[in-house]
Amino acid sequence: MELDFSPVLTYLPTLISGVGVTFVIAVVVGLFSVVGGLLVAVISIYTNKVVSWPLRFFIWLFMTTPLLLQLYFLYFGLGEWILIPALVVGVLGLGFHYMAYNADIFIATIRSITNGQYEASRSLGFGHLRTLYYIIVPQAFIRSVPQIGNNLILMVKDTSVLSAIGVAELVYASQYAISVSFRPFEFFIVIAVIYYVINLFMEFGQSRLERLTAYRR
Amino acid sequence: MDFNLMADITPLLIKAAWVTIDISARAIVIGFMVASTLVFLRSIKFKPLQWFVRGYVSLVRGTPYFVQLLLVFYGGPTIGLKMDPFTCGVMVGAFNIGAYMSEAIRGALESVDSGQNEASRSLGFGRLQTLGYIELPQAAGLMIRSVGVLAIVLVKNSSLVSIISVVELTYQAQRLIGSTYKPLEIFTLSALMYIVIVYAVMGIVELAYRRATRYTTQ
Repeated sequence: MELDFSPVLTYLPTLISGVGVTFVIAVVVGLFSVVGGLLVAVISIYTNKVVSWPLRFFIWLFMTTPLLLQLYFLYFGLGEWILIPALVVGVLGLGFHYMAYNADIFIATIRSITNGQYEASRSLGFGHLRTLYYIIVPQAFIRSVPQIGNNLILMVKDTSVLSAIGVAELVYASQYAISVSFRPFEFFIVIAVIYYVINLFMEFGQSRLERLTAYRR
Repeated sequence: MDFNLMADITPLLIKAAWVTIDISARAIVIGFMVASTLVFLRSIKFKPLQWFVRGYVSLVRGTPYFVQLLLVFYGGPTIGLKMDPFTCGVMVGAFNIGAYMSEAIRGALESVDSGQNEASRSLGFGRLQTLGYIELPQAAGLMIRSVGVLAIVLVKNSSLVSIISVVELTYQAQRLIGSTYKPLEIFTLSALMYIVIVYAVMGIVELAYRRATRYTTQ
């Protein structure tokens, strides 16, 4: 059972390119889920029931079913009509999943902004959309920073699940190296350490961001 | 929607859903024991032990559950840790959720005002009696809610066990999608089963919460 980390060194370029793909996925999904979540939240609060109920339903559906099931459905389900690469399916699936979680948070924080803010803004001559854009959404966004940060950290860890549908991120990229070298333990330890380091950076960034925005909450 | 097909595959999916329930229930029970042990170890005034617990919790929370599962299942045999897929799923799930639960339990216990502990001790209760009669009953409400949220997370995480070929709900759904090419029908059914399981857990948590807080005004 002696451990041998030399294959990990041999395949280090593979791992590094895997980290690169994970990073790109995380950034794209992060932007997509936060911006999308905000849009979904605003639309579902300020429109009529015909629009908001389906949105609420999808938020609820994405939050009560597992990510992997959603990914399988998107991957094999969409594959029936159009052929799209696994990477796109993975980014969309993960994006929609966390978009639902973020939208749920934004809905709560937008509701927590007192009505007086809206009324004061309207009486000062801002229109409905301008009030939302300049007054309501910025305040709600600052209030959601801690929870959105938590979601982003969870999301980066969940990028590993995308390897199940064959997205060439960190875990999937090392599959080949593992099957050739027969050293699963060493590789997965190194992968775990990489994720842990990424996580440490993200937690540090989150606490900095929370401190920077604390005075506005 | 092909309703004949849905009727045909429902028994298969129910059987698979039962495996999901089985694996989650075992992992939650063992995970709660792990969490209690961690909280106990951390309360002992012995620095290396506290470092160990903090390190363990930080490592488990800082790495993906998916990678932990692969590490133990495929890497475990290297260090003499051989398990069948089902046991592996239960154990990794339990030790994963245990780390999260230990934080939840500790947070709930710390939410009880320290004056309660001091008053109780000065009235002659021992440390264990204080914990059992004074602190736990007051922390129970918060503890049940936060452990309940984690139990739901665990149920959804149990879908990842399909990757080490445990035939649970997601695995069965994926296999049926592959053999029937009817993703929408199968997704609808399996999503419905997850929703039922999640709502059942929420119901149990709500009942436990009401029972635990029936004498406290909140």
